[in-house]
Amino acid sequence: MKRTLTIFSGLTLIFALPAAILAHGSTHAQHGGVVQMNGETLFELVRAPAGVSLYVTDEDEPVTAGSMTARLSVTVGGQRRDVAMVAGKGNQFFAKGLTLPKGASVGVLVINKASQARYGTTFAIK
Amino acid sequence: MTTVTAFRRSVCAAAVAATMAMSVAADAHGIWFAQRAKQLALIYGVGSDDLDMVKRLPQVESVTAYDAEYRPITATARVAGPIVLVDADVQPTLVAAVMPYGVWSRVGDGEFEKKTLQEMPNATVSTKNVKYAVSIQGSLAKPIPALAGHSLQIVPVGTIPATLGTPLTYRVLYMGAPLAGARVINDMVNDPDAKEVLTGADGTVILPVRNQGLNVIRAVYDGPSDQPTLYRQMEHTATLAFTLAHAPE
Repeated sequence: MKRTLTIFSGLTLIFALPAAILAHGSTHAQHGGVVQMNGETLFELVRAPAGVSLYVTDEDEPVTAGSMTARLSVTVGGQRRDVAMVAGKGNQFFAKGLTLPKGASVGVLVINKASQARYGTTFAIK
Repeated sequence: MTTVTAFRRSVCAAAVAATMAMSVAADAHGIWFAQRAKQLALIYGVGSDDLDMVKRLPQVESVTAYDAEYRPITATARVAGPIVLVDADVQPTLVAAVMPYGVWSRVGDGEFEKKTLQEMPNATVSTKNVKYAVSIQGSLAKPIPALAGHSLQIVPVGTIPATLGTPLTYRVLYMGAPLAGARVINDMVNDPDAKEVLTGADGTVILPVRNQGLNVIRAVYDGPSDQPTLYRQMEHTATLAFTLAHAPE
């Protein structure tokens, strides 16, 4: 009986592991914005009167904004405007005074300055 | 017929079949885009053969990217170790590439050699191969247009579904116009030997989306030569790649 329980417990642990291992951390907004996942990278876009913020988290670890560049490409009514964001504290990038109207398509591209690795996604503003 | 004769004929038939299979495989290679370590890579190969793209990079004629309105944005190919990555200035909606792959000729069932008709005047087959790739990287607000430089191109008709198994119509364009009789397979990476389906009179074919992940559709068309003194035909091989997101974790 004890052996059966041991085997059962072991199997339970094995079957429980994959879900825990596969998760890439929180997929919810942490700053009141909208989120998009691309693989294990989470992008959160926050619209505010002062401008637009972008927060980037990589497998539940906030990136260091200072080590990256971030650019938004905002397409509204057939016109595209590219906006370079400024690195803020922690994993925040900021575009002062930028507004994103409903219906806008917002491409996000973050580039690691050292490796040139690129991470991106697209938001549809509703 | 003796057992030995039957065996020899069987071996002979197998050899012929193998040769034919090799010829098909040699022609079946293409280029497509796929993620490698979260970066966008340009791949050359077929099936699970992810071959040496770096040595082929000089043959790549163009790498382009497009925004949500399909206006060109700057994109460059970059060697990163053993793979080729594509860097765009802003997040692209489409990326595309064109790679002429030389002139190949052969006599009868002989092996293909990288020679023109002038170099192999007795060739029975002589073809110039060109590879094209388009990848959808962002949501599509409008139909994908014919892209400059892409003599053969696959475009989705209608919205790309969210789940595998859902039928999706593709249209194959040749010189920007619908092409009947293009040979299409649904998954160049995971099912490269699938029976080819021909596009209809309107250039379309309907296939179920095969993967809840990367999908690479391939179309092949043997078109007329633009330099008949050098090769008798042009083999155009186009891919369209897109991904379906997996369920939230």
